[in-house]
Amino acid sequence: MTNYIPTIGVEVHVELKTKTKIFSNSINGYGQMANSLTNVVDLGYPGTLPTVNEEVLNLAMKAAIVLNCKIRRQMHFDRKNYFYPDNPKNFQITQARTPIGYDGYVEIDVNGTKKKIYIEEMHIEEDTCKSTHRQDKTLLDFNRAGVPLIEIVTKPCIESSEEAKKYLEKLKELLYYCDISDCKMEEGSMRADANVSLRKNETDPLGTKVEIKNIGSISNVGVSIEKEILRQTKLLDNGEKFKEQTRRYDDKLGDTVLMRVKETGNDYRYFPEPDIPFIYVTDDMIEQVKKTIPMLPEERINKYIEKGISEINAVKLIQNRSLSDYINECLEENINFKVGANLLLGDISAYLNKEEKNIKDTALHKTRFIELVNLVSDGTITSKNLKDILQTVMEKEESIKEIIATTGVQNITDDSMIKEVVKKIILENPQSVNDYKEGHDRAIKYLMGQVMKETKGAVNPKMAMDILINELNS
Amino acid sequence: MRYLNKSIEEIHKLLKNKEIKPITLVEEAFEQIENSKELNAYITLNKEEAIKKAKELEDKEVDNILFGLPIAIKDNIVTKGLRTTCASHMLDNFMPIYDATVIEKINAKNMIIIGKTNMDEFAMGSSSRTSYFGAPKNPWNREKISGGSSGGSATTIANRDVLFALGTDTGGSIRQPASYTGIVGMKPTYGRVSRFGLVAFASSLDQIGPMTRNVYENALLLNAIVGKDEKDLTSAKKEEEDFTRLIGKDITGMKIAVPNYFMSDIVNEEIKEKIKDTIKVLEEAGATVNYIDVKYLENAVTLYQIIAMGEASSNLARFDGIRYGFSKENPKNIEDLYLETRALGFGEEVKRRIMVGSYLLSGENSKTYYNKALSIRDDMKKEFENVFKEYDFIIGPTTTTTAYNLSDPMDDPLKSFMDDVLVIPVNMAGLPGLNLPIGFDKNHMPIGMQIIGAAFEEAKIYQLASLLEQKLDLELNPNGGEE
Repeated sequence: MTNYIPTIGVEVHVELKTKTKIFSNSINGYGQMANSLTNVVDLGYPGTLPTVNEEVLNLAMKAAIVLNCKIRRQMHFDRKNYFYPDNPKNFQITQARTPIGYDGYVEIDVNGTKKKIYIEEMHIEEDTCKSTHRQDKTLLDFNRAGVPLIEIVTKPCIESSEEAKKYLEKLKELLYYCDISDCKMEEGSMRADANVSLRKNETDPLGTKVEIKNIGSISNVGVSIEKEILRQTKLLDNGEKFKEQTRRYDDKLGDTVLMRVKETGNDYRYFPEPDIPFIYVTDDMIEQVKKTIPMLPEERINKYIEKGISEINAVKLIQNRSLSDYINECLEENINFKVGANLLLGDISAYLNKEEKNIKDTALHKTRFIELVNLVSDGTITSKNLKDILQTVMEKEESIKEIIATTGVQNITDDSMIKEVVKKIILENPQSVNDYKEGHDRAIKYLMGQVMKETKGAVNPKMAMDILINELNS
Repeated sequence: MRYLNKSIEEIHKLLKNKEIKPITLVEEAFEQIENSKELNAYITLNKEEAIKKAKELEDKEVDNILFGLPIAIKDNIVTKGLRTTCASHMLDNFMPIYDATVIEKINAKNMIIIGKTNMDEFAMGSSSRTSYFGAPKNPWNREKISGGSSGGSATTIANRDVLFALGTDTGGSIRQPASYTGIVGMKPTYGRVSRFGLVAFASSLDQIGPMTRNVYENALLLNAIVGKDEKDLTSAKKEEEDFTRLIGKDITGMKIAVPNYFMSDIVNEEIKEKIKDTIKVLEEAGATVNYIDVKYLENAVTLYQIIAMGEASSNLARFDGIRYGFSKENPKNIEDLYLETRALGFGEEVKRRIMVGSYLLSGENSKTYYNKALSIRDDMKKEFENVFKEYDFIIGPTTTTTAYNLSDPMDDPLKSFMDDVLVIPVNMAGLPGLNLPIGFDKNHMPIGMQIIGAAFEEAKIYQLASLLEQKLDLELNPNGGEE
């Protein structure tokens, strides 16, 4: 599709999941009545001063650690001066000169090989307010003004839309797992911009950079990069020159649209924020933050596979963090994890989805889950049985054995009873018995199916099979 | 005789014994203010609320020495429900919805806010003539300026309307007008008083401080307003102290430095003579006084201009007509709103400083000027620290001349900075500095001496100032009949 080498850099803004805003004690919340989560500081009232929310520093440090960044030990904030209606003080407090994290990387998997996406820097800043345009008016909602953000900037080391998407997925997973952000692109708590340029040869200088702003989903990051590469390829092939510019991705159009051409470099008149003293990060602070980092997805997957869970299921578990956290609680137990994962991803997930519940809010606590896994593993409960009792298992605190006893769905594990059923099936299906004896393996599956049908699945399949083979051969 | 002309102890006793009520003091204050309207000390009077508050206080216990006393507040300190203009058209309709931390502290002492005082627009100026509401006049001679930017607070104290006023000092704005009007004005150590609710001019320099008729009352008001504030990260956590505690204590053996620059030919001869006389008094009281060289003093004004204007250009960006204050009606578009609101809302001096400040922070200039200024400022701080290793105080004149005429031309923007050449170094180093009246020139205009202390040594400054005040025993009421 292109004869050029694309060079891509990605900038991601992530809203931090804090209780309050970065520079004031207003609540940090989404979806509330416009301007209900504001105070004089957020509105940039004369005389107000910023304070620094410690939670923001901790989450930013946490992000720096999981993104393998170095952490700046002495930092300050800077003012970025520009006039815009969504910018209440007409300057944004950010970190231009001393970003909290720098020189990091995120490792992604490209066609089976690992690639490091290098992070230039990550810094803390405040979000602007939200503008809504109505005819010739602009409405401003300051609920978002002062929401803490971290901006994560990669080096121009991404070579394809696929890599960009993988990077974003990985980034999202890491930040989400560490409770740094809920990373909802549709709510704007994660926003991505991509810088794309093309050049002919590796040795050429980088081509003219085009920035694509505010792309609404990870897949659209992929699409917009693809489209941009095509657009630039066409221009370059035709020998056309173009200026550095900012474009946006139009979802309806499925293509990028010009926003503005960069005439001269913006002059933001940065200077150190005089209202916030320098911040010093100590080893102890970093150690404290490290303690709050949970087991990361990659390590989880490895652990799961080690415990016998299939790779597919291991990945599926990671995609549902509450289930992954749940099974992590049991990692020290001696249970059949393969069965456990199947249960969680199968019937239990179906139940949780239907009831719109989190597994933490059900009656299936750790000890009962272990009991359930063991009963399924040893065949006491078949998948058919489980369907009948699942709701009770999830909602009642009784032991699972008791539930089985009271609901009567216990498996038929009594040899003589099974033998009786097997004999009846053999008598009723002489043709199949014949087939079996002539060496048709399929016949035994049919007979087994009949046994299960007769017992409505309430029989330990392994035992039934053993007895069936025995009877047929006798 | 007015009760407000009595000493604070006497007034307190009268209040405590219910011989007078706060309303009496409030009425006296307004009577004097209304009789001196021509002085133009106030932008907004708080008469109705002040009377209401005074009546409310009648039932309360007189629990502190500042209880029931009227106070004037410079109009760049926000007061909930009381118009705060910063002497600018930009905010001439601005009604704050919150109180500055110092106002909360004033209210906690049950002082009564009498009104908001006149000043240079956004505190930018040194004669209060950049006020949108016209300049205040000097009670000693109404042809003269009261200085600035806290000119209104200085005027109302000098005129004895009230005993207490708050001013703010970014580059001498408390001490210089205090000197011109013959009152006591203290710029505390940077961080001593919360800036939350002070409309910022230059954040790294601004500081609120007390302006009073004498040293003791000054220390009392400082007692009331200091303290670490969670809302101001630049405020300092310090042990609680009584700033009056060293007043009356002997100064024998104390070492005082006079920078040669402070006594160079930039200072008027008459003022230098008065300083020398005062030095003699200090020596007689047992102090040693040495003339020394202090590096960087002559750079202070340049540094100040860079830092103050750079910060101001950013601090004043928020006045855009969108959320509060003056707003251009029916703007064509957002750019028109910005341009016209700011073109019409700000006065000339403010616009000049915003432009210069923006230029200083633009592109490479930010490194060439602002960052360099910050680093020289650190050197200057260290230089002062070194002096204070050896000396208890640095003293000198507060101003190079006495108050000049209101009619003097304003067309030299650099002149107004030169007015503050002796007071600015103190802001640059974040140190405490006080103006003490030490006499008068041949036209009977007040002359002031500046006493500079090491960081957080305000109590010691009051000790020295109080001793001099007592020895000099000046008649400092321009209307005569001092207490």
